[in-house]
Amino acid sequence: MHSGITISQSDSRPMYLQIMEQIKQRIALGDWVPGQEIPSIRQLAVELRVSVITIKRAYLELDREGIIVTQHGKGSTVATDPDLSPRLYDQELTEHVDQVARLGELLGHSPEELANRVREAADRLVKEHV
Amino acid sequence: MTTNTDLAVQFAGVGKKYPHFTLDDIHLEQEEGSIMGFIGANGAGKSTTIRILMGLVHQDHGMVRVLGHTMPHQQAAAKFDIGYVSEDMRLYRTATIDWHMRFIRSIYPTFDQAYAEQLCRRFDLKPQQKVKGLSHGQRVKAALMLVLARRPRLLVLDEPTTGLDPIARQEVLGELMQVLSDERRTILFSSHNTLDVEQISDSITFIDRGRIIDSGDKEGYLDRWRRMRVDVPPGVSLPSLPGTIQKASTGRITVLTTNSFDPAMTALCRDAGATVHNIDRMTLEEIFVANVASRREGVLA
Amino acid sequence: MNFNMIRLLVLKDWYLQRWLIIGSLVGGAMALAITVLTGKAGFFIGLILLVTVLVVEGAQLAVSTVITERKEQNLAFVMSLPISYREYTMSKILANILIFLVPWALVLSGCLIILLAAPGAVHGLVPYVTIMGAYLLVSTCAILCVTLMTESQGWATAAIIVGNVGFNAVGYLVAHIPGIAATMFGVRVLWDSTSIGIVLAEFASVLLLLTLTFLVQSRKTDFL
Repeated sequence: MHSGITISQSDSRPMYLQIMEQIKQRIALGDWVPGQEIPSIRQLAVELRVSVITIKRAYLELDREGIIVTQHGKGSTVATDPDLSPRLYDQELTEHVDQVARLGELLGHSPEELANRVREAADRLVKEHV
Repeated sequence: MTTNTDLAVQFAGVGKKYPHFTLDDIHLEQEEGSIMGFIGANGAGKSTTIRILMGLVHQDHGMVRVLGHTMPHQQAAAKFDIGYVSEDMRLYRTATIDWHMRFIRSIYPTFDQAYAEQLCRRFDLKPQQKVKGLSHGQRVKAALMLVLARRPRLLVLDEPTTGLDPIARQEVLGELMQVLSDERRTILFSSHNTLDVEQISDSITFIDRGRIIDSGDKEGYLDRWRRMRVDVPPGVSLPSLPGTIQKASTGRITVLTTNSFDPAMTALCRDAGATVHNIDRMTLEEIFVANVASRREGVLA
Repeated sequence: MNFNMIRLLVLKDWYLQRWLIIGSLVGGAMALAITVLTGKAGFFIGLILLVTVLVVEGAQLAVSTVITERKEQNLAFVMSLPISYREYTMSKILANILIFLVPWALVLSGCLIILLAAPGAVHGLVPYVTIMGAYLLVSTCAILCVTLMTESQGWATAAIIVGNVGFNAVGYLVAHIPGIAATMFGVRVLWDSTSIGIVLAEFASVLLLLTLTFLVQSRKTDFL
């Protein structure tokens, strides 16, 4: 079963996070449905040419978040009720926003100037999707 | 999730003295079914350690067990299950690749001729070609093909991708990962190519000047090591942070390298009056260089 | 001892040295032919050629199979095979001795047959020729053993030189031993205690050299 996941060397985020995000994406898009069998840890490691330990970590985190279910010796499946709650992305957003605030302060931007910059970026993104 | 797995490789208190180099107190443990990356500068002792592992060099003291066999005494038995390729190894120049395949086949019952031929196609090797006509990259690939086709339980590779073009490197990495789809097979490889090591290794061992300076699982390293840029206003002194390996200040900015990162460090700095501007993850290469530099300067956390 | 592995290694060396083996067989046969077919002058030229072929082959063998293998970095490849250093030594000794024995046996028996069967041949030379033939075996063995034990091109060359000089020296000395000198150019084959003793001593030397080498090699701990 080909996963269609790709690892980017230039992405500075850790590999296990990239993998986690792409698996969540597949599930969110409906390519992988609840209860469906997904590639085993070793299978995915071989396919992506990434260490087993990294895949294990991604799967462990996903299991903890309730996105997938891994049974020892039986492989992994998409959870019957995957909790792709916005709550998790919210955490990431908070981290990034804090970083933006710090950088803004360094550059001497006021909160309004900062808000404008963020709005411009969001608008640009909307235009790209259209 | 840890299970009681067998150790494929075990070094305990191993030492070897040469006139100009000493390998000292080597402890190494590698679990079956894993890939270990072995990183070290030239002359650090990688090749010597690997030769002791293969039984080709007899240690002065210490215990070496490979796949359950004691080395070097049981090396003949051990080598039935080990595939070894080193950078300084050469095939016979006057013979063809095909002759080598037949030679290996006559020795190892596990040699898979079909797989060998598939590897030749994938590695772009012509079996009828004599070894002396091969380029460096082709010779490396031929040697790898010969060990891969036997499907040995343990692969010991000294610089397997050195000197290969990017395409060949990807092919080799792909085949090495393929080995891992059997959870009883193990790979130990040394490499200068820290990117490759970072990508496919489960565990990493750093060696420098004849001593193992660090050994552990890869994700752990990448999690624990950080480089922080901290703005330290005049009159403020940074708190002593655990695991600080390096510290360098220019003007108000202090760059700190730590091997025991904790998110709470940001708050600690802020409480002392300093501001953390960047917290960067480090590549394996950066970790290794920092580790070696600090050791050589005698600054240990 | 894994005799199957030793056999495979010997076969490997035979294959890799195949041109040397064929060359020395052809050279030996041609030299024998010259000895027989060209009359008295040709006889001695042929003899010299025969000896040359054997000496060169014996010397080159040790160098090719031991020193060159190491220099060309093939040794690491061989040692990655499921063998111990002992088995490696045994395979080198066997491969070299067997490869040498084939042309050696051919040339020596060819000589003896010529001496005994060709018309006008001097039968008294048989013991002398046997002694000198056995000397070549001893000297080749010595070259092999020195090469294996020292792993050095320099020492191998020295052994080759000593062997060659020794051939001339021994040839001269033995030809002047009273018991042998008296009957050398006679018609009958006469073995006395001296000549028999020398031949036996030569074969004993071969066994001694091989045993010594094997023992010395067994005590070595590092291949590389």
